[in-house]
Amino acid sequence: MATGKKKGLLFDSTRCIGCGACYLACKERNRLPVTAEDPLADELSAVTYTVVQNRRGRFVRRLCMHCEDPTCASVCPVGALEKTPLGPVVYHPDRCIGCRYCMVACPFGVPRYEWRSRTPRVRKCDLCYDRVAAGLPTACAAVCPTGATRFGDRDELIEEARARIRAEPDRYHPHIYGLEEVGGTSVLLIADVAPENLGYRTDLSAEPLPLLTWNVLKKIPNFVLVGGVLLGGLWWITNRRIAVARAEREALGTNRQTEEGQPSDREEQV
Amino acid sequence: MKIIVRPRITFWRVVAGVIFLSGLYSTYVRFSGGLGASTALSDRFPWGLWVGFDVLCGVALAAGGFTMSAVVYIFHIERFKPIIRPTILTAFLGYLLVIVALLFDLGKPYNIWHPLVMWNPHSVMFEVAWCVMLYTTVLALEFSPLLWERLRWEKPLKVMHALTVPLVILGVILSFLHQSSLGSLFLIVPHRLHPLWYSPLLPVFFFVSALALGCAMTIFESFLSFRAFRKRLELHLLTDLGKVIVGVLALYLTLKLQDLAGRGALRLAFEPTYEGRLFLAEMVLGTIAPMVLLLIPRVRTDDFGLFVSAVMVVLGFIMNRLNVSITGMEASSGVAYFPSWTEISVTMMIVALGFVLFGLAVKYLRVFPPEEVARPAAVELPAPAVLRRLRQGSTAVVATVGGVFLVLVLALGYSGLRLRPTRAWAAPPAAEGDLQRGLEHFTVPPDIVYQRSEASPGTVTFSHASHIDWNRPRCTVCHHQPYSLVTSVSDRSSPRKPPGDMHAEAFCGRCHNGKQAFNVKEDCATCHKGP
Repeated sequence: MATGKKKGLLFDSTRCIGCGACYLACKERNRLPVTAEDPLADELSAVTYTVVQNRRGRFVRRLCMHCEDPTCASVCPVGALEKTPLGPVVYHPDRCIGCRYCMVACPFGVPRYEWRSRTPRVRKCDLCYDRVAAGLPTACAAVCPTGATRFGDRDELIEEARARIRAEPDRYHPHIYGLEEVGGTSVLLIADVAPENLGYRTDLSAEPLPLLTWNVLKKIPNFVLVGGVLLGGLWWITNRRIAVARAEREALGTNRQTEEGQPSDREEQV
Repeated sequence: MKIIVRPRITFWRVVAGVIFLSGLYSTYVRFSGGLGASTALSDRFPWGLWVGFDVLCGVALAAGGFTMSAVVYIFHIERFKPIIRPTILTAFLGYLLVIVALLFDLGKPYNIWHPLVMWNPHSVMFEVAWCVMLYTTVLALEFSPLLWERLRWEKPLKVMHALTVPLVILGVILSFLHQSSLGSLFLIVPHRLHPLWYSPLLPVFFFVSALALGCAMTIFESFLSFRAFRKRLELHLLTDLGKVIVGVLALYLTLKLQDLAGRGALRLAFEPTYEGRLFLAEMVLGTIAPMVLLLIPRVRTDDFGLFVSAVMVVLGFIMNRLNVSITGMEASSGVAYFPSWTEISVTMMIVALGFVLFGLAVKYLRVFPPEEVARPAAVELPAPAVLRRLRQGSTAVVATVGGVFLVLVLALGYSGLRLRPTRAWAAPPAAEGDLQRGLEHFTVPPDIVYQRSEASPGTVTFSHASHIDWNRPRCTVCHHQPYSLVTSVSDRSSPRKPPGDMHAEAFCGRCHNGKQAFNVKEDCATCHKGP
């Protein structure tokens, strides 16, 4: 396995039988309590990083999509979320200040929070970062009995998805979800129906969301310099004008003072 | 003989006492039980009242400070100088209270200093954090002359005087960045914020509306100072501010209409929805009504008229920030949010703290120009003043025009709240899946041969194939501890050592109990088939 390449997961809904192995494997790897007897009845939470859902008779997984240009990592003021070169988006709880901007901004609504804790952490799938770094597949992919969840190099998974769609055009909806959404994600999804039928939002543009704020933020240094010079200049001009006016007044004597706008104003106040 | 001075019990002191007591109790709940115990926030709705009101509105309180200091120190329009100190004080208090609010809202308030050393310049929140830190410092410095005066320290006073212009320039830049960046925070959620409020122009809207609020707060607080401390600012200055408000609101309204029309979202405002009605209420209350009122010269030159218009701008502004951060985010989150009483009481405590600190500052520092204090007009009681003005007719105009708008706002808001759908998030109805296609790819996990123990009548081979419900395969039925999945998959060595007494309830006995499947105590050979 080439360790330098970006990893990812390919989820093929047509192969998923809803057995819940990925759900349990994730719980086991992350040492989390099993919160539902039936994984199909569970929801993402601070102790559940992936679930299998039954959507109109089709099984579909929910988990962090590990965006190529992650919104969560972009919005975090202290860099507590990080896109690693291998693909996983990981979280550093020791950096986190708990502003929860990542939760507001995530286009997939994935991050969860330890609301009841006094030292709360953001919780989400980390694509089994330690396993992936050691050259192992993620726990969920390792246990999947049907190959519905496959782990591999993202490039190869894209080729695989394309090949499957090409080979069985009747079986698959042609869209590979995650190929382009918000600039691409490490988790890819194919199914026999359009992704909106599986509860995945399809109104996301191919442009990474962080660009929306970066286009504004990158103007700041320029703005500070130009603004500083401009305001300083304005101050100098108005200051100079007053000084000149005063000097002229002194030269002309004080009899014309009432014609000036500002001194007469000041007189009214007294 | 000792004289014990008892503080006089007044209505407002009792109110403040109640607010502080309940706020302190909520503070205890917040820091002992976490955000979950003290707020109505959830994974689906992570930002609520503390962000929407305390932070977004608190920062805007500073808008008066930087506008007025720019007007006086950079443009040298010196007649506004009497307004500078109260606006700087309001700005400073606004920022201090924002920091207090952040300590409540941040999950890990003890890490609030992290943005100082852990940088992410791609984050708007990082910019916000730096603006808060820097501008609080600038405001503290701008405010400090009041302290040095009181302490009669000449040296720092001189230093501060020399620093005034650079500080004002820095303050204006920081304010511009900060007011707009609070709007930029929401630029990254086009998929979440309702199109009536989401706009690429959000930073512009936040900045322009903050300018209007800054002027309105100046009018508002000078009226309150008049009531509370008998200190009055020159009415003609406030009238000028009223004119400025009209200009700013006109700009805001134009930009807003242009933006909504350009994005094709204008019709959404007139649709009978929760968001549409609250949007209209916000626009009527905060923009259209005060604009109309302040355009009437009789209202503009009257302190009651100015006060009513300013209150409308302030309330409309608050509504706008709450609409952006709460109303506009509800539909996409799938849950309805209403702040818990603990959130409300903490917010009220912070607001009350602002009033108390403002009062203390006015009492002990020279916030208002000294000549204003002794004005004979200030002794005038408000009630007869209102009566006198009624005769003049301006109060009648304000009451009629303002009243019509207020009724309209209340009607819109009420109908909006009634239109709010009760969105209890429910799991979609489950349907049996078509497993056949998936099962084609099903790899039955291999059989497990268990090592024979001494007392065992024969080797047991566990067959996955015969233990799977082929109509509805579920790994979760058996794969709890000790039959963990990940370790089993990575370790498929055979034969395997039994992890414990396999007849026990934790193992085979769990199902093989005579009820779900045949009892382990029945025929040994059923399982112990091997040699």
